[in-house]
Amino acid sequence: MRDSETRETATNGAGTAAVRAEGLWKIYPQEPRPVEAVRGVDLEVAAGEFVAMAGPSGSGKTTVLNLLGGLTRPSRGRVWIAGREISELPDGELAKVRLSRIGFVFQSYNLLPVLTAAENAEFTMLLQGVPARERRERVRRLFAEVGLDGLEDRKPPKLSGGQQQRVAVARAVLAEPALVLADEPTANLDSSTAEALLDVMEKLNREEGTTFVFSTHDPRVMERAGRLIRLVDGRIEEEAASGGGD
Amino acid sequence: MVRLPTLSWLALRNLGREMRRSALTAAAMAVGLALLIFSRTLADGAHEDWIDAGVRLGAGHVTFNAPGYRDGESLDDRMSPAQLEASLAAIAGAGLREPPVVSVRVATNGLASSPGGALPALIVGVDGATESMFSRLGEEVVDGRYLEDGDRLHAFVGEALAERLGLRTGSRMVLTAQAAAGDIEGQLVRVVGTYDTGVEALDRTLIHIPLGTARSWLGVEGATEVAVLLPHSSFTDPVLEGAEAAAGRAGVEVAGWPETSPDLYSALKLDDGGDWAFHLILFAIVALAILNAIFISVLHRQRELGLLRALGLSGRETGLVVYIEGIMLTVASGIVGVGVGLVVVTVFLRDGLDMTGFMPEDLNFGGIAFDPVMVPVIEVKHVVQSVLMTFAIGLAASLYPAWHAARLDPAETVKVD
Repeated sequence: MRDSETRETATNGAGTAAVRAEGLWKIYPQEPRPVEAVRGVDLEVAAGEFVAMAGPSGSGKTTVLNLLGGLTRPSRGRVWIAGREISELPDGELAKVRLSRIGFVFQSYNLLPVLTAAENAEFTMLLQGVPARERRERVRRLFAEVGLDGLEDRKPPKLSGGQQQRVAVARAVLAEPALVLADEPTANLDSSTAEALLDVMEKLNREEGTTFVFSTHDPRVMERAGRLIRLVDGRIEEEAASGGGD
Repeated sequence: MVRLPTLSWLALRNLGREMRRSALTAAAMAVGLALLIFSRTLADGAHEDWIDAGVRLGAGHVTFNAPGYRDGESLDDRMSPAQLEASLAAIAGAGLREPPVVSVRVATNGLASSPGGALPALIVGVDGATESMFSRLGEEVVDGRYLEDGDRLHAFVGEALAERLGLRTGSRMVLTAQAAAGDIEGQLVRVVGTYDTGVEALDRTLIHIPLGTARSWLGVEGATEVAVLLPHSSFTDPVLEGAEAAAGRAGVEVAGWPETSPDLYSALKLDDGGDWAFHLILFAIVALAILNAIFISVLHRQRELGLLRALGLSGRETGLVVYIEGIMLTVASGIVGVGVGLVVVTVFLRDGLDMTGFMPEDLNFGGIAFDPVMVPVIEVKHVVQSVLMTFAIGLAASLYPAWHAARLDPAETVKVD
């Protein structure tokens, strides 16, 4: 796909971009030579999109996600989340943006082991100051939707991998972020659990309009994505509409 | 900070998860604090005991003298009857709730002689009944008895002196000294009893005789010294402050025990220095225990701490979670440590800690015989100091792990282990 077509796909009917990156570079100072993990990535994801980034190991997928999510700062280039530039924000402000605008789902679930499933799911809302009753109601409804009802009081070690990842997804979407960044969310799941999880995320995208950007190797994710971005050696090699998504 | 309750809740949960580690860390701090409290109360008890022993064998907590007396201890520098009255009035006006023991003394350096020989002596005229409440000599009787009301030509001498002069209870001896008028005068006295304080310098020289006898022998109407024994050494400064002005108006010098017993004061300061060195070592050990426990806990939880950053906590707030854990551990340990410390102190309050096996017999320094049984004394100020210092150590030791947590790179730490 050529550049003009890419832009059209990225913004088509999407209104304000959930995330936009311009000339993004990430260079790690290292001996004997600095490592260029991300090299000049331009990207725009419209609100409500379901986008997958694929590419071989070391292609820079996770680094791009971290840059988009403000977990790491670009060496060059700029990032906007829901229209707000975050590249130069101080640590405290960046944390606020992550809290209010971005949800993360990690490959290794990353739940807080000291909290129950429900407490994990509502943790971001707790930090946002959402009243307790509303938090519980939102958790109850979403847990019912994603098949976690009855597991509210279990702590992570008492949940299966799939259940933990669904709790992580619930945590990411419950605070109603502009963008959910999911880093290989199905990598540690068996086939049926991965499908079930993707069903959940696809449903949230479709019904709630939640924007998802995945990094993945998983063909099932790529199949469902509305747009597929291929990264090679830190650059976007190819960007195309995929079969899935809306 | 709005999120402080949430961060505190999370910190409490974290401590609860690593209950064994938290308990061990808290135990290290609690034991450290309990030891500190016990050691401070023991030191306070021992110090008060030393002061008590020193001032009761010497010039009391507070002493009134005529100007110049303390330099030369000459009868020429004695207090007149008016100055004596003014000194007694100054003590009465010092505002003590519990009346002190006040000993009026006439002291002179002289010679004690018997058929067995002659030795230099410090001869002190005292009121027997008052002095028996003041001085420890009456408690150290080896033979005979201490001076009593109605005694006139009697003397109470140290065993060491009696032995050298071949004296025993009932023996007679002659005391010779320069009287107030300048003449050398002799006084025949009979030994009513002997004592042994364990302080050789004292037992060899100090002789107590009745005050009336001393006055008539030496031709003194007033006194050379008014010694005041207070209920506790901590009253010394307030009494000094209260009495100084009145004494000054009467031309009398007033001094506290640190000034009149400089050896004792130095011994206490030296011991204080040793105590502080011990406390610093204890603090260092406690600080390292806390630092180690919390820092290792941070290293084990890097991914969780990185996750907190990803979820929207700032670096400062993430560090604060760790710091609150340190505060909670410190407070819990403080409460347990104070409790344990006070229980241990209470156990030893009645009979004290017998250190006989660790101290040579008759150990003395600066004119004080050390009691091998150390009885702790609870000084609230020092207990509070110990608690505050332990808190300060706990909070300081938590700083580095908190700082480390605040600086974690979330992108690196949330990666798969």
